[in-house]
Amino acid sequence: MIRGSILAAIVRREFLEIVRNRVLLLSVIVPPVILATLPILLFGVLGTTASRVPPNFVEMVLAGHPQWRDLPEDQLVTAFALQQFLVTYLILPGYIPLAIATYSIVGEKQSRSLEAVLATPVRTGELLAGKSIAALLPGLLAAWLAYGVMVSVAGLVLGARMACVVTESTWLAAVFALGPAIGLVSVAAGIIVSSRVNDARTAQQIGGVILLPVIGIVVVQAVGSFVVDAPAYLGMAAIMTILGVGLIRIGAAIFGRESILTRWK
Amino acid sequence: MVRAEGLGRSFGSLWAVRDVSFELRAGEVFGLLGPNGAGKTTTVRLLTALIAPSEGRAWVDGLDVVERADEVRARIGLLTETPALYERMTAVQNLDFFGRLHQVPAGLRAERIERLLRLFDLWDRRNTLTGQFSKGMKQKLAIARAMLHEPAVLFFDEPTAALDPEAAFIVRDALETLRTMGRTIVLSTHNLDEAARLCDRVAFIRGQVLRVDSPARLRQAAGGPTIEVDLAAEPGDTILGALRVRPGVWSVSATAGCLTVVVEDVRTETPGIVRALVHAGAEVLGVRETTATLESVYFEVMCGQPSSGAFAS
Repeated sequence: MIRGSILAAIVRREFLEIVRNRVLLLSVIVPPVILATLPILLFGVLGTTASRVPPNFVEMVLAGHPQWRDLPEDQLVTAFALQQFLVTYLILPGYIPLAIATYSIVGEKQSRSLEAVLATPVRTGELLAGKSIAALLPGLLAAWLAYGVMVSVAGLVLGARMACVVTESTWLAAVFALGPAIGLVSVAAGIIVSSRVNDARTAQQIGGVILLPVIGIVVVQAVGSFVVDAPAYLGMAAIMTILGVGLIRIGAAIFGRESILTRWK
Repeated sequence: MVRAEGLGRSFGSLWAVRDVSFELRAGEVFGLLGPNGAGKTTTVRLLTALIAPSEGRAWVDGLDVVERADEVRARIGLLTETPALYERMTAVQNLDFFGRLHQVPAGLRAERIERLLRLFDLWDRRNTLTGQFSKGMKQKLAIARAMLHEPAVLFFDEPTAALDPEAAFIVRDALETLRTMGRTIVLSTHNLDEAARLCDRVAFIRGQVLRVDSPARLRQAAGGPTIEVDLAAEPGDTILGALRVRPGVWSVSATAGCLTVVVEDVRTETPGIVRALVHAGAEVLGVRETTATLESVYFEVMCGQPSSGAFAS
């Protein structure tokens, strides 16, 4: 059983570490800021290029998004462009927890501070849960905050109809179901990889492999060959959650006292 | 307070330690002495319920280290070889975090943090990031961290190994303070001077416990208190005989005008020995007391070869 007071102490310490670690803090703050502002910059460019839309483009987009039939052509282009940014709200909860988890564990390996922690009555489940929550939460909050900003900006700059486009069930399923599931897998991958390497950047590069399928979603959507709808996102969220739970179990085995003290080098 | 019975731990087919048995009384400072790789850290980890034994059993404060590991860890304080502090946190934040892990109530936690930081002269630096501390300060803070929850037993694993002489002095001073406070301490070290000065008893370890006793008794067993007497001439049988008949004298040997007399007690025997020598016609040039050092005992136990320099003045 996990004790709340101990879990809170671990999460609090991890947050303190994030706030005081400039590299880590920047990796939490900068990507959401860029990803929230990038679509707005792109809309300015698209405003001048809408007239050069290929002839079969409208049919292709409407085939995947029949709910956009009421949109004039220029708004259809904008809606399609906006749709491509959905994936950024999946990358954020994947990348940020990975960065935090790897920095946290590799940092403790380098300073050998875990032995002192393990010599307290803390249970390894509590330690793992605390580190996982502290890694997952900033990624999710950053993604959701950036999404909120993007929805607001879309409503203000592009009008209420575009705000509706980015709050369709597809977006909600992706941002609020698949995002956290990717975050879970990301944290688990961070823990597993960090136990085997001694450098946070190496751990991130190896752990970053889990983001490749997410990038794949961007590609298939951009070429219009396959439309990922809300049920598909929920299905992927379920698969990723199962994968995440499985990986967390492996991570928990790796995170045992004996393993940390005798095998982590 | 701490009891080990046939404790052993293997990693794969290799045994790090085996057949470790000893008992530690409350208020005792107990040293684990041995070279690098002798199994001292493994023994400490076994006794602090960090790793499980492959064989044997151990108890801390009456609790089995395997069956009641969580409770054992709540009753011990461990100082690891490196201070292992969170360097982006202040001294107070470090102690506060560990106090929370030990579930020390907030008010009591604040009170103890202040008391310990004052005890180790760190109160004025309480809000400084520990990354800016000197090695000695870090080690003192790590000792404070180990004491925060008022553990029944403190385990110090090589507390001065990585320190410069000045920092090591500061840490030894802190250990002396704890000793005078009557704390029960297990001190793992390969610094024999440190062990001789701080420990009530020591265990020589090299894969297994080779010998356990007080430093004084170990030194005595290695040769006993000894008096060396420089004479003007080679002593004859009369002189040697005059000493051998004395009840407090254990052995007498002579080498090139120097008598080596092993006695029961140096202070009570020396005047009588000098009188006996003068009475027997010897011309005494000088008298000095010598004892076996813990170092000489260490080498004798570890290498099984009493060296020619086993006695030092």
